[in-house]
Amino acid sequence: MSERPDLTEAEAFAAEHALGVLSAEERRQAEVRAAADPAFAVLVDAWRARLTPLVEGIAPATAPAGLWPRIERALPANDNSGVGRGAGFWRRATVASLSLAAASLAVAVMLANRPPVLVQPPAPGQLLNASLVSPSGAPVPLFVAAYDPVRKALIVTSLVQPGGDPAHVHELWVIPADGKPRPLGFIEPGKTKSMPMPQSLLSSLAEGAAIAVSVEPPGGSPKIDAPSGPIAAVGKLSKI
Amino acid sequence: MTRIAAGERAALQQLYDATSAKLFAVCLRILSDREDAEDILQEVYVTIWRRADRFDSGRAGVMTWASTIARNRAIDRLRARGPMAYAEQVDDLQIADSAVGAEALLVTAGENGRLQDCLSQLDDRTQRAIRTAFFEGLAYAALASRMDAPLGTVKSWIRRGLARLKGCLEP
Repeated sequence: MSERPDLTEAEAFAAEHALGVLSAEERRQAEVRAAADPAFAVLVDAWRARLTPLVEGIAPATAPAGLWPRIERALPANDNSGVGRGAGFWRRATVASLSLAAASLAVAVMLANRPPVLVQPPAPGQLLNASLVSPSGAPVPLFVAAYDPVRKALIVTSLVQPGGDPAHVHELWVIPADGKPRPLGFIEPGKTKSMPMPQSLLSSLAEGAAIAVSVEPPGGSPKIDAPSGPIAAVGKLSKI
Repeated sequence: MTRIAAGERAALQQLYDATSAKLFAVCLRILSDREDAEDILQEVYVTIWRRADRFDSGRAGVMTWASTIARNRAIDRLRARGPMAYAEQVDDLQIADSAVGAEALLVTAGENGRLQDCLSQLDDRTQRAIRTAFFEGLAYAALASRMDAPLGTVKSWIRRGLARLKGCLEP
């Protein structure tokens, strides 16, 4: 067999992810990286395709005859058939289950940031949480935001790998029920930040409001009332 | 896949007829338990049904996509059984591996043949490490204790093995 130079770091990581040899924490990192870095996602896809023939190497095993009827009964109705719960429901359910996972992270972040003397649980149901995912890509959270009404602060964590693109910044927006975006500030890749919210914005930070991140030139969007660059991620505030 | 995404059950049934024997074999291979494998296979096709709109033919073939779902689901179930499951798995694994080898001899053409060819050129330990990782989702640490070798050594077997596989598949 021809010897090849070692794989690059990115390719080795992608190959290990496709093979399934990473720890739970590394797998999560790989998924976040694939969501944020299309070149890395391509490497993972290529390795999945390379390794899939391993599956072909196993002798087929006929599934029991009763299994298909069981599957058919378990199928939810699809959106486009116009009956019942459809793909939209499932997308929401997926995002909800992700934000549940993100919620525990957000709570951990919040507890870590809060000075011990002030520890005081917020009134139940008031803490709001949003898991921000790419509007077009995989449903993997790129940012996690939690609004703490006790401290009147939005705690934001960027799960984007640092060091990607020095020419742009990530700007946060809240889009309340009126549909008009309000700028909230900036978040650096890989960082967690607690952002105090001015009184004028408090009514906007309600359940159902969207939190979005746009990609902007340094200094932020030249427009005060709208992002100028593409939306990197978006999610809705909901009760934990 | 477009028809599945549009909610055509008949299209999903066609996919099931064409792929279920392979995917059931994957679940069985990973879980070594028929009942668990049936449960997971059901989850796999329900997942395919729900996510068909996200399938991107530009990114992956249907079989790669579907078998990745099956493998991930089955490995999740395996992990949920806890660390003991890994210990019980050893004998099954050896039996299953020789079965794979026997079948590989029969394959003469296609992607499968090429990958098996390239794998067979790796040393035994590396082959075993790659297959075990693929079919059980064992992370490096678990793989090292299973193979009774230092973590760094197993890591370099796998990394070098993967690099050589790539070189062999794309000379």
